[in-house]
Amino acid sequence: MGKKQVCPPRALPPVPSGNQDEIPLSRPKKRKPKGKTPLDGIVQAAVRRQSESSEPLTPEPHDVPPQRKRKKKKVPTDSETSFTEQNVASLFQNGSGMDVPEAEETVIRKQRKRAKKPRPAETHSSNDLEVEEEDIIEDEHRKSPDQQPVFAAPTGISQPVSKVFVEKNRRFQAADRAELIKTTENINVLMDVKASWTTRDVALSVHRSFRLMGLFTHGFLAGYAVWNIIVIYILAGNQLSTISNLLEQYKTLAYPAQSLFYLLLSISTVSAFDRIDLAKASVALRGFLTLDPAAVASFLYFAALILSLSQQMTCDRINLYTPPSENGSIWVAGTEEEIVQPWVVVNLVVSILVGTSWIFLSYRPELDHSEELMFHAEIEEFPQGETLPRVQP
Amino acid sequence: MLQTSNYSLVLFLQFLLLFYDLFVNSFSELLRTAPAVQLVLFIIQDIAILFNVIIIFLMFFNTFIFQAGLVNLLFHKFKGTILLSAAYLALSISFHIWVMNLRWRDSSRFVWTEGLQTLFVFQRLAAVLYCYFYKRTAVHLGDPLFYQDSLWLRKEFAQFHG
Repeated sequence: MGKKQVCPPRALPPVPSGNQDEIPLSRPKKRKPKGKTPLDGIVQAAVRRQSESSEPLTPEPHDVPPQRKRKKKKVPTDSETSFTEQNVASLFQNGSGMDVPEAEETVIRKQRKRAKKPRPAETHSSNDLEVEEEDIIEDEHRKSPDQQPVFAAPTGISQPVSKVFVEKNRRFQAADRAELIKTTENINVLMDVKASWTTRDVALSVHRSFRLMGLFTHGFLAGYAVWNIIVIYILAGNQLSTISNLLEQYKTLAYPAQSLFYLLLSISTVSAFDRIDLAKASVALRGFLTLDPAAVASFLYFAALILSLSQQMTCDRINLYTPPSENGSIWVAGTEEEIVQPWVVVNLVVSILVGTSWIFLSYRPELDHSEELMFHAEIEEFPQGETLPRVQP
Repeated sequence: MLQTSNYSLVLFLQFLLLFYDLFVNSFSELLRTAPAVQLVLFIIQDIAILFNVIIIFLMFFNTFIFQAGLVNLLFHKFKGTILLSAAYLALSISFHIWVMNLRWRDSSRFVWTEGLQTLFVFQRLAAVLYCYFYKRTAVHLGDPLFYQDSLWLRKEFAQFHG
């Protein structure tokens, strides 16, 4: 009978263990006893008696903290829940009689804490800031006979407030809940937009930018080539009668003009190749056979490039022009026309080729087989299992 | 999976090196009055080509296809770029050595011969083709298909072995 009378105090353990449960979650070392009411003496005595009666509890706090630290470092939110579960499990193991509603209550308290101290806004969704009804623990819940010990922690009744405390510069500052929700929603929208920007989009935008630059270069090159040939013919005079004048005047221009030609022709050729997707030989060949404007333009640009490059030697000769009568001149008297005439003709042909290419390409400036085949074919065709893109030759 | 920011940065670097290459090819002849300057430009140009080749190989190594061990498939798909890059690097180095040899003493000398002219034309043409193939490969490698297992990859693999 004596043992049966001792039983009722044994129902106490959940409460002190509940307190122990809450202590490490906030700040285990700096936790101070709240208030010094006469009830505290009773509480401490009860706790001490309980801890003495259940000796196996004492080694456990030594084992738990390292795990707790490790978990906190990894994922803070998980650590809270896992910690709670861990404690609940340990309490069950100790047979201290912790029942499930208390564990749930602990979880609810954690949620409430999280809602009150949101981290910097970008990591939280706006839902975390909204007040949920289950977060508010009303007075009736706390008045259940089992869980209403006299030494309960002096927590007030939860109430939804319009302020939330946001940590900024290591200080918590009050912020309006509604505004914070708006800002976090905006940030979420921005993050969604940013997240949807994939590497494919980057590649596509670069490709399109280059095509735009190419379009500009085609026009510029055509204009520049026409201007160049007009200048040459004007300086050379009727039937190349004033070749010496041309050489005198044009020798400073010859090399810069040639360099600019190469630069513009390179960009234009690459851009034209992009349009027919030259790397896929079958597509390119089909383009040539069907006289696709992009394919024709590519061919013309490539021909113009070869012709222009072949005149490098003559350009250098013009660049180093000194009258044949002078000492050390690389020009022999009477050979000027022989050398200059083919050069003028080649320049004329280059101008015509470049001008024609520009007309072909500007007729359909949006034509780009490369983009169609490279970026769209693989996505659209493969799920259906139809044609596969050919391997690059 | 390839991060968008990383890919943008790599693509920017590749295009920067390509434009440097194009710039030197276009205007190096104008700077020939100072052979030392031209020499430095040529050395940087060759290193830039080498860097570009290294970068494209690193991008290959980063693909799922490569990591899955289908190296042959990857190299088969981009062999045009690889071969052209190697050929262009060889042509560039040869042309630079030849020209610098001829002009080192007297930069304003007329040095052109038929052989040099031919090498010049081939080097410049290879530069344009290299630019096109390299740019295409760099842009193409931004496709997420290369970084994940997909039906496309399996079909490519079957086609490659079939």
